[in-house]
Amino acid sequence: MPMYKVKPVSPADIKIDLPTCMYKLPNIHAQGMNCGEHALQNGEVDPALKALEERQDEVLRRLYELKATVDGLAKTVTTPDADLDASTLSRGPAESVFRATADLDSLLGKDLGALRDIVINANPAHPPLSLLVLHALLCQRYQVLSSVHVHSSVSAVPPPLLSCLGPRHIDSYARQRFQLGFTLIWKDVSKLQMKFNTQSMYPIEGEANVARFLFRLLSAEPQDPVLATQMDCWIDTAVFQLAEGGSKERAVTLRSLNSALGRSPWLLGQEFSLADIVCACCVLRAGQTTSAPANVQRWLQSCQNLGHFDCVYPLLQ
Amino acid sequence: MYKDERYNNLKASGMLCLCVAGEEEQQAQSKKALKKQQKEAEKAAKKAEKQAKLAAEQQEADEDDFAKDRYGICPMVQSQQKLDRALVRVQDLTPEKAEQQIWVRARIHTSRAKGKQCFLVLRHQQFTVQALLAVGDRASKQMVKFAANLTKESIIDVEAVVKKVEQKIESCSQQDVELHVERIFVISQSEARLPLQLEDAVRPEGEGDEEGRATVNQDTRLDNRVIDLRTTTSQAIFRLQSGVCQLFRDTLINKGFVEIQTPKIISAASEGGANVFTVSYFKTSAYLAQSPQLYKQMCICADFDKVFCVGPVFRAEDSNTHRHLTEFVGLDIEMAFNYHYHEVIDSITDTMVQIFKGLRDRFQTEIQMVNKQYPSEPFKFLEPTLRLEYKEAVAMLKAAGVEMGDEEDLSTPNEKLLGRLVKDKYDTDFYVLDKYPLAVRPFYTMPDPNNPKYSNSYDMFMRGEEILSGAQRVHDAQLLTERAMHHGIDLEKIKAYIDSFRYGAPPHAGGGIGLERVTMLYLGLHNVRQTSMFPRDPKRLTP
Repeated sequence: MPMYKVKPVSPADIKIDLPTCMYKLPNIHAQGMNCGEHALQNGEVDPALKALEERQDEVLRRLYELKATVDGLAKTVTTPDADLDASTLSRGPAESVFRATADLDSLLGKDLGALRDIVINANPAHPPLSLLVLHALLCQRYQVLSSVHVHSSVSAVPPPLLSCLGPRHIDSYARQRFQLGFTLIWKDVSKLQMKFNTQSMYPIEGEANVARFLFRLLSAEPQDPVLATQMDCWIDTAVFQLAEGGSKERAVTLRSLNSALGRSPWLLGQEFSLADIVCACCVLRAGQTTSAPANVQRWLQSCQNLGHFDCVYPLLQ
Repeated sequence: MYKDERYNNLKASGMLCLCVAGEEEQQAQSKKALKKQQKEAEKAAKKAEKQAKLAAEQQEADEDDFAKDRYGICPMVQSQQKLDRALVRVQDLTPEKAEQQIWVRARIHTSRAKGKQCFLVLRHQQFTVQALLAVGDRASKQMVKFAANLTKESIIDVEAVVKKVEQKIESCSQQDVELHVERIFVISQSEARLPLQLEDAVRPEGEGDEEGRATVNQDTRLDNRVIDLRTTTSQAIFRLQSGVCQLFRDTLINKGFVEIQTPKIISAASEGGANVFTVSYFKTSAYLAQSPQLYKQMCICADFDKVFCVGPVFRAEDSNTHRHLTEFVGLDIEMAFNYHYHEVIDSITDTMVQIFKGLRDRFQTEIQMVNKQYPSEPFKFLEPTLRLEYKEAVAMLKAAGVEMGDEEDLSTPNEKLLGRLVKDKYDTDFYVLDKYPLAVRPFYTMPDPNNPKYSNSYDMFMRGEEILSGAQRVHDAQLLTERAMHHGIDLEKIKAYIDSFRYGAPPHAGGGIGLERVTMLYLGLHNVRQTSMFPRDPKRLTP
């Protein structure tokens, strides 16, 4: 007999989210169900999961190994390895600083028949003394066509600045006879700027950086990495602490200069280098050289004796 | 009525007999004529009524116009009397003259009536001042109405009291004062419809498009040049141009140069036969000088050593470009040197630098005024001037990707690119390019002593465009003849020129610039017609 059929109040297949924090009992109504779920709670491991865990362990292990290797490397870099004795590092081949002439083509790019002109824009209120010294050195090694211009953004420039590159070369009317051009433009710029090959090079800013570029043209960079680093270090000290720092920082730098110069005639040892040029120029520009420590004064005197600094002294007045 | 009167008079004077013959004709037409007469009579009656009314009103108005002799249109100034009256210039109207009663002659820039007041802006050259006319015990309603109806650009004489203002009048050049008008008279009235409005002519191009207001295009300006030249921008441009000419003269005179005048009607074309104007000269024909080249050189051979001349140059080039004119003002230099033509280059570049410095230091007001309508970068230069060699230029262009031969002349786009490259590296808008290839220069250019493919010639550039072409000249008659023959020039036509070198000639060099082009490039303008007062080109002969 057909019974009263009541419409189902709720649909038969509602998805119920069973809570996972409770202990699970096997379903007593259904039979042959997979007992895997609750079985895991007893500590037995599903083989697929096991494999995954093993893979994870493997990866983690490899990561730890890599980390250890990198740490080890870092230690060897930051601190001298116990096995490596720095004192036995041989100095690079004893090249006397400015004797080799560089291959300009390899340094500056192929010569397309045009004069390779280095253009430096400097503010007449802050003449770049170290660049003038480097110019004098360049003139000794190469045939350099030097010229000084005044840009229209500056109304007047004191005469010593106009003749700071020395007298005009006799052959200056024939530009092709020169290997290198050195054009100094007195301009209203906030930071010293050097332009060389505008198509392929960004302008270089800052006196120290331009000085490094010009020094490389003399191929007198120390080959030894330790010395090269020390040189860079001294240059940065000179620029940031001597030139731009307060009087305290200047005093500290002068003291460290003094102690370094007590050990050797020049900052890097036996050879005159860019570090000496830049530091000496910064010290001279800061003024009060008579009150500087003894070693520093002796060193400044040696610089002057070399003759490269002759162009600088007229500008210090 | 008129007809009837005459008829009546004739009758009265007894000459009716002469009209008897016509009377029958008159009777035939009398009906039509009567009607016509009636109509005319009505018309005339109406007119008379109107006139009577107007006359009555005028009388009334005149009665109330107590200020009638303080304004009006002056009779044309035919030098009827010599008035001992000092006219103050608009640019001198400053707070120092406050409360003074002065006379000013200026143009009406704008006039605006507002009820009982009339605001006028008076203009003289670049300077404007506000003037106020209000109904009161000094001015009547009719006077204010008269002032408001005056046409723009009319020249007026105004007697006014200078008054200080608390709030600056931003729209005028004289911002601290205004004039309170007592008397106003018209010296020269302008027609009501102007072919172009001055505010439109001064509006910058972009602004016009943006706000939907008009700007004036170049042809309209040039057709009505007299009005266009009144704008502040034009005044500034031509004052600066006058400065260029003056600085050129002053600098060269200080260097010991002599100014010369050369003939412009000549017998032979100096630069080549193609671009020369021919004029009929009595029974033959002659040419208008393309450059003072030949005569400058003859002066050097006549021992003047250093000469310059300022005068017109005529080039019949059928080029309709932004930088070519058929007639322009040439500033030319020629100089004898001792041993090397670079002495002359140094002299010329120094002259140019002195001109630039003079403009930079003394004409800033004019430069700013031009920049308002035509903004541009200020002109930069180096002292001493940068000198590059042609080979360097070719290398720079090749490095930038241009393909060209070593002895090829620079095309205009290449010149512009080179200008940009030089600006990039040296930050200068003015430089000299030396040692051009011989093949692209005129026959009188001296070849390079070390390399026969090149020559002792040079070009100078401003903002990437050529302004001067110069060279060391061949001063040896023999070599000159050879070079002329090589270029296929008829020796007969230049016989006088070659002869001048046969009796001892010093080595010399020189060059010439175009005044209009230099002004255009200095200000960063884009069309040489803007810097030529009444330009001449293949399509324009007037004004």
